[in-house]
This record gives sequence, C-alpha cells and structure tokens, in this order.
Amino acid sequence: MTEDTDHVLDDLAAYALGSLEPAEHARIDRHVRVCVSCAGHLGEYRGVVGVLPVALAPVAPPAEVWAGLRAEVRARDTAAASTLRRWLPATGWLTAAALAAVLILWNLHLHAQLAHYSQGPQVEKLARRPARLIILTGTAAQPQASARVFAAVDGQSGHMAVTGLPILPPGRVYDLWFLPKTQTLTHNAATFNVDSEGRAWVVIRVPISLDDTRALIVTADPIGSSTPVGPPLLEAAHWR
Amino acid sequence: MTAEGVDDSDLLRRMRLGDEGALEALYARYGGLLYTLALRIVGDRELAREVVQDTFLRSWDGRETYDAQRGRVPWWLMGIARNRAIDLLRSRSHQQRIRERATRPHGAHAAPADDLSDAVSERVTVVHALQALPDGQRMAIELAYYNGLTQTEIAEQLGQPLGTIKSRTREAMDRLRGLLTPALQLKGGPSA
Repeated sequence: MTEDTDHVLDDLAAYALGSLEPAEHARIDRHVRVCVSCAGHLGEYRGVVGVLPVALAPVAPPAEVWAGLRAEVRARDTAAASTLRRWLPATGWLTAAALAAVLILWNLHLHAQLAHYSQGPQVEKLARRPARLIILTGTAAQPQASARVFAAVDGQSGHMAVTGLPILPPGRVYDLWFLPKTQTLTHNAATFNVDSEGRAWVVIRVPISLDDTRALIVTADPIGSSTPVGPPLLEAAHWR
Repeated sequence: MTAEGVDDSDLLRRMRLGDEGALEALYARYGGLLYTLALRIVGDRELAREVVQDTFLRSWDGRETYDAQRGRVPWWLMGIARNRAIDLLRSRSHQQRIRERATRPHGAHAAPADDLSDAVSERVTVVHALQALPDGQRMAIELAYYNGLTQTEIAEQLGQPLGTIKSRTREAMDRLRGLLTPALQLKGGPSA
C-alpha cells in the first residue's frame, strides 16, 4: 500500500486545525488532492474549524483599522498606476527595444529547449515567431514551480515550458486554464503531464484573447475535467 | 452600491475587478470576527489590528487565488488571519512581549447575549457544542487552533501520549461535526 491508497482519516481533524508537523501536513496534503473520500471528510472538518471563532465573545475592531486598510489599498493602486504612467510613455522606444530584446533572448532559450525536447517542426515554427510572453509563478501550493507561456502572434496557439511540478498519480493530469474577465466560464488551453524531472513542454491553444483574459492558472484535475477542480498551482494575472 | 444581501462570492468577483467598495463590504461583514479571532490568539489589541489589516490586504492582493472548492470566503479569511496570528504568536518579539505582560484578554466561550439575531443564534449553537465536549477534548481543540500547537507539542504540554491527543482531537472534531453540521448546514462552497 502507498500513502495514496491508505486513507488518512486519523489525521484529517488535526490537519484541518493546522496542528500537524510539516512532514505530516505535506503527506495529508498530497493524499487529499487525490482521494475524493478523504477530501469530503476534510470539507466537513473545515466547516467545523470555520465556525470555531464564532464562539468567541465579539470584540469590535477600532474604527481606524478600516481607515488604515483603505489607505493602504489606495496607496498600492496609486503606486501601480503611477508606475505605469511614469514608465510607459517616458520610455517609449526604450520599452519596445527592451521587449524585443527579451523576446529575442526568449526565442534563443526556446530553441535550446526545443533541441532538448525534440518536439518537431510545429513547435520550432512557433518559437521563431514574435509573440506575447506570460510568466506563471508557483502558488503557495507549489512555490517551486514556474512556467512560461509563449502565445503566438496569430492569437490562436502557442506553447508553454513548465518546471517544478510533481508527477501526478494515474487518472490525473495538469490543465492550463484561461479565466475570462467577464464570464465565470473557464477555457482549457492544454492538458499535460510532466517528466521525471518535473518538466513539460506543451503546445497550447489560446481559447480567448489575452486582452479578454484576467488570469491564467494551472491546476491538477481528474482526466476530462471541464472546469478547474484542484487549486491553482501556477498562476499569472499580469502580462504585456 | 450597497452590499447588503450580496453573496460573498459576488463580493470577491467585484474585488477582482478592483472594486474597493466590495472590500469594504467584506470588511464590514467579517472584520469584527477576524479581529475577535486575532485578539484571542495574540492577546494584544495592536497586534490583532495588524493581523486584521494584513488579512484583508492579503485577500485584496490574493483575490484571484481564492478557491471556492476549499471552502467559504469567511473560512478562507479566517485561515489567513489565524496563520498570520500564529506566526506572530511564535515570533521571538511576541514571546518577549507576552513575558512582559501579566494578563491577556481571554474572550472564549463567554455567555451569549440575549439576542435573537442569526449571528447570535449561530454563536449560541457553537458555544453549546464546545461546552458539550469533555474538558480534555475541548482543550486539545483550543490548544491546536488558538495556540497554534502541533499534536506533538500538545502532548508534551499536557504530559499525555501523542496517540491520546490525536484520538481526542479526532473525537472532538467528529462530535462537533455531528452537532454543528445539521444545525449550521456546514458545507463547503462559496456561499456566505
């Protein structure tokens, strides 16, 4: 038997309470990702944990908490907007030149990877074209993972290089999803697995325009899932 | 735009569009509960305020990453707040601060007010469920959740075998689940 087939009911309650040692926590974490039964039990325990604080005698927060929070949020938004305003117009051709240089370097990098993966002429053809680059970073669930999506200029296809993801058990695959800005519907762009070194080189569809997309995420899902089932493992919400 | 009657998941959706009003509505809905939880854990109003502010900032920054499959919005917020508060609790500077203080506020399980609102009704239900637990089981839950202790640390602190603590924790959670699930309709999902 392996940890994927042994159920972990004895430790699920402590897991939901955040009361396991890191190694045990990681073991349960891996199990509930692939075990529907234990995930169901965990959902019930999470419900219990979610209402524990309700038993506390309520204490009103000081009024200045919201004021401080609002000021911080506005400061962040203002800083982000002013950075864009300051840099985009002022740097003009410099920005374009830097972007072109990044794309050239990226293409060189892609060619190196293509040589390694030998995926055939289709990917090689894509790699030669100018395109948009989206960098996906690992979430708290897979902080060591990263990916680069290279969307071809035709707006319909591209490819993705992934590193740092674990090999999934049978019956599960990784999915790349496009999350639209204005709908709740998600669009699958690719389904893939990783090699023994946690890497993958994937040809993708671009199901909707990146301009209409608010985020790209990678999840681990049962084969054939039409929507994301697992939590985001990789994500990107900003790109040029 | 008023947020009264608006579903939590709708507030998250508005936050993703940069709507600060949605964050304010979420704060109005859960700020008090998070402050109460943080104060219970860290025992210091200034630190509790820091925890609450940090929690909502993280929810704003991480509004794209909320996963409804893992539970409701308030559970997500309380998870962030609890982890942040436990981090502070375990920090060296906070340990020093605790040593310098003789007392700390301890608001757990006070008698419920005579109010018939949903919130109070829910609180009565949870308080009664906790009071129904044997002392050893309730202590295991409180040390785990509010003090951030691992099962091993609880066993050491109480001088009990690790297996006993694990059994008490599981039995307590099963009992709470049995009492609270039908009463509060505890299910995962994004609804408020």
